[in-house]
Amino acid sequence: MKNIFFILLFAVVFASCDRPIHLNLNESQVRVIIEGQVTNRPGYQYVKLSRSVDFYQTGALPKITNATVSVKDSDGNEVMFIHNPNNKADSIGYYLPQTPFLGVIGKDYHLRVDVDGEIYEADDHLYPVTSVDSLAYRIDDDEKDDPKTANKFYEVLIYAKEPHPSKDYYLFKFYRNDSLKLYNDTDIYYTDDEALGESINGISTPIFYAPGDKATIEAYSLSRSGYVFYDDLQKLLNNDGGMFNQPPANSRTNLSNGALGFFQASAINSASIVVEQ
Amino acid sequence: MSETQNQPNYPMIRSFSLSFAVFFLISVVALGQEKVTLNGYVRDVSNGEELIGVTVYIPKLSAGTVTNPYGFFSLTLPKGTYEIQFSYVGYSVQTITVDLQGDVERNVDMLSETTVMQEVTVTDKRVDENVVSLQMSKNTLDMNRVRKLPALFGEVDIIKNIQMLPGVITAGEGTSSFYVRGGSADQNLILIDEAPIYDPSHLFGLFSVFNADVIKDSELYKGGIPSRFGGRLSSILEVRTKDGNNKKLGVTGGIGTMASRIMVEGPLVKDKASFIVSARRSYVDLFLKAANNDNLVHFYDVNAKVNWKGNNNNRFFAAFYSGRDVFNFGNQFGFAWGNRTATFRWNHLFNERLFSNTSVILSNFDYKLELKDPVQGFKWTSNLEELSVKNDLSYFINTNNDLTFGYHITGRRFSPGRIAPNTDGSMFEEVNLQKMYALDHGIYISNQQRLTDRITLDYGLRLSIFQNLGATDIYQYTDPQDNSRPVRTDTLHYGAWENIKTYVNLEPRAAARYMLGEGQSVKVSYNRMVQNTHLIAAGTVPVPFNTWNPSSPYLKPQLADQVAAGYFRNFKDNTLEFSAEAYYKSMKDVTDFADNADIFFNQDLSTEFRQGKSWSYGLELLLNKKEGRLTGSVGYTWSKTMRKIPGVNQGQEFPANYDRRNVVNIQAAYDYNARWTFGATFSYSTGRPITLAEGKYQYQSYNPDIITSRNGYRLPDFHRLDLSATYSPKKNDARRWKGTWVFAVYNAYNRQNPFSIYTRVTKNKDGDTIGDGYTKEARMIYLFPILPSITYNIKF
Repeated sequence: MKNIFFILLFAVVFASCDRPIHLNLNESQVRVIIEGQVTNRPGYQYVKLSRSVDFYQTGALPKITNATVSVKDSDGNEVMFIHNPNNKADSIGYYLPQTPFLGVIGKDYHLRVDVDGEIYEADDHLYPVTSVDSLAYRIDDDEKDDPKTANKFYEVLIYAKEPHPSKDYYLFKFYRNDSLKLYNDTDIYYTDDEALGESINGISTPIFYAPGDKATIEAYSLSRSGYVFYDDLQKLLNNDGGMFNQPPANSRTNLSNGALGFFQASAINSASIVVEQ
Repeated sequence: MSETQNQPNYPMIRSFSLSFAVFFLISVVALGQEKVTLNGYVRDVSNGEELIGVTVYIPKLSAGTVTNPYGFFSLTLPKGTYEIQFSYVGYSVQTITVDLQGDVERNVDMLSETTVMQEVTVTDKRVDENVVSLQMSKNTLDMNRVRKLPALFGEVDIIKNIQMLPGVITAGEGTSSFYVRGGSADQNLILIDEAPIYDPSHLFGLFSVFNADVIKDSELYKGGIPSRFGGRLSSILEVRTKDGNNKKLGVTGGIGTMASRIMVEGPLVKDKASFIVSARRSYVDLFLKAANNDNLVHFYDVNAKVNWKGNNNNRFFAAFYSGRDVFNFGNQFGFAWGNRTATFRWNHLFNERLFSNTSVILSNFDYKLELKDPVQGFKWTSNLEELSVKNDLSYFINTNNDLTFGYHITGRRFSPGRIAPNTDGSMFEEVNLQKMYALDHGIYISNQQRLTDRITLDYGLRLSIFQNLGATDIYQYTDPQDNSRPVRTDTLHYGAWENIKTYVNLEPRAAARYMLGEGQSVKVSYNRMVQNTHLIAAGTVPVPFNTWNPSSPYLKPQLADQVAAGYFRNFKDNTLEFSAEAYYKSMKDVTDFADNADIFFNQDLSTEFRQGKSWSYGLELLLNKKEGRLTGSVGYTWSKTMRKIPGVNQGQEFPANYDRRNVVNIQAAYDYNARWTFGATFSYSTGRPITLAEGKYQYQSYNPDIITSRNGYRLPDFHRLDLSATYSPKKNDARRWKGTWVFAVYNAYNRQNPFSIYTRVTKNKDGDTIGDGYTKEARMIYLFPILPSITYNIKF
């Protein structure tokens, strides 16, 4: 949230002129990319493994399909994750729990990935999440004047009670008709409770809807390292080349041994509403 | 011998007794000789302005001196008759003959060459100040020449001229920040009439806060920094404004494409007291392409000065400056910043040889940011306030020794910010960052000694005592450098004025000049500088919102040791100056932020500070033609600056943001005839380093870069040509005013000079992603295409 004005500043003052430029880069060192998620909601557990590529490489990342992946909780229960158990074409590189498995609030989770003998590990704690008490919607006049997507200018308002007094961090995901949406492709919707007050009172979604659209809001709890990861990631995605804000740097991660990405343990709460005229 | 009237407070008593003791000792020594003193002020005959740095030379003795920053000189010589030459760039040499049988007070008037309209022929032999002067690594801006050179949008800007000096590097276009001999942008002390300016830029550096109409003198010290200066590692930019014409009333103004200005000066009491007031305001936001008509961008500057120079013994001055930048975008977003300074000065002659300057200086730098939004609305205000008392004394012992000594004491209050919600529905809560306080003492003494005909030495010592004071709470951490999850173990409460941490540092300074022969010399210098006020810049361009911090338990003072050596030679009867200087600077505890630092409103900001070392070395060559129809300079600098800071770039050394290997600057002004003058400037520098990706990956729907090394890539090289033509129509005697037209073109061959590079997923012109969303592209931002401008200047 604090970075918004920097982005605004940069965009407005220096949106002046830019043009494409080709960079003469060296070959980059290949890194293992791990995207892991353990939650308290069925079907929301996965570990995705891939390898990084050179900057100008086209296409999706090459996936790692032969790794050994396991998640252990603080009570010692261990679950193996198997690569693409249902053999779906769009799930190459995804590892799903071998046996049905749900995260539990209050536990620690330890990820272990073995790729060709190289071990990558991470730890995260599953914190409780705010409940989403209710939703409402209204027209946003500014968006109505100039909608990003035609006809979509209704915003949804979120009402929630924020658990106090512990320090909490959240990630939000917004869906329109069950499809995950971002307003700008580099937006990440995360926050800490320092900026928030006692309760979330009618905060509007960054995504807009038209009558008939179903709006779903998901709230994920984050650990402090999860919050730091998304904060760093947002800085990296929106960097101006180090002119006004800092030069870009890799996101801090809880993964060991030089892997990039993050292993996230979250509790999820969600709510839906259908927007009407 | 007289004493000053004021009885100082505790911190001043110690230093005052020191200076008094030294003074007493030296006058006892001097009393035994049969010498007399000639002293006085050197002024411009047309307006009474004192001239700074005038060479005062006695051919009979092959000795001389230079007028001090207040135009004062003092020569103690054996009784006799002497011919004395006064010479100064842009003025005709003035020679006086004096029969010195007792102490003589004599003010000297000099005639400016620009008031003489015909072609100037060089008949008088000029004193070769470039070679003879002890001071090395210093550049004085010739304001007359500066006004003939092309200026962006017609606004003459001394900072842009400073950026063209050898040894000075710029971050790029459109910024007022400059880097001197490997030092970062906050390592320059910028003074206007002795008051510090914390951000010298308007519109992010498009223009500077210095209105050229009102500038009398600008000097940049890059090395061999005299003992009277302290507080920054790399340079001192000392700007002095005009005092005001004390003979007749005058009005000067200009109307330009971007801004207009007006200046009024005149006597309050003829020859004794005068005033000068000037104001400048911009009005058009040409470069903002936002479609919103509610955008408002402007800046203004006001300078005012009043002085009383009734006699030579006591002179009083008061100078004020206030400037501001205001940006408002629609009804949504606004920010503003500004500097305000005030200087009250008293020059006093204790006797013919002891000159004293006492100044009380106030400076306030503030900025505010506002986002008007029902949910995320906030207002952030911040400022830095400073009050200084300085006493500088010059004791002109004899023609072989000039002693200077003094003390400075400065109190500073840093208010990094208060953020408050500005609407009822805003989700922000009020947060106050702690104020910080500091008391900065500087005591110095130095002597410039003419050892032999060929050798002059300057040696001095400055003592810096810096106190970080309360009222503040200092947090203690399990790991003071853990910025991911700072864990406070304790909070120490300090009351008002209670000492938290004191840093004491000695700063020795030494310089020597050896004359190789007529018109040739070699100079060497060493200086140690200490900096206790830090602006840790997150990006390359320091934005006003980057806050200043005092040295504290978590921020050590920065130290620099610089050695420089140079060869100086004048040709063609001193009309052509050549200098070659090489330097090596080693810096300790330079500041930076950790990777991914959270710099906004971070109550634990000290966990983000990283300090390490930096080193820089280079060679500067300068050829300067001062006389004739064609004047100008060619400068070349080769330099390298590296940093190595634990916690940044994995502790590996990396090039500094302003490491630009080769820089060439050419300036030329040509007086074609009485009507037309042409000017041109050309700059070239190696591209600045930038941190860019080498690889990339995907995480959820995002496509982040992989960053391997800080500043591992270079932007394309920078070069630009500017041209100008000044037309002075024949003076119409029916009109009381005289007008000149300035036609200028900036970036004459329309080069797209890179400002920065950023990466993104490949998109088309409308901002929609092209293809599968996995390919990325790099985009280069450039600022100014070819920009013509017309300015009309009026002088009454």
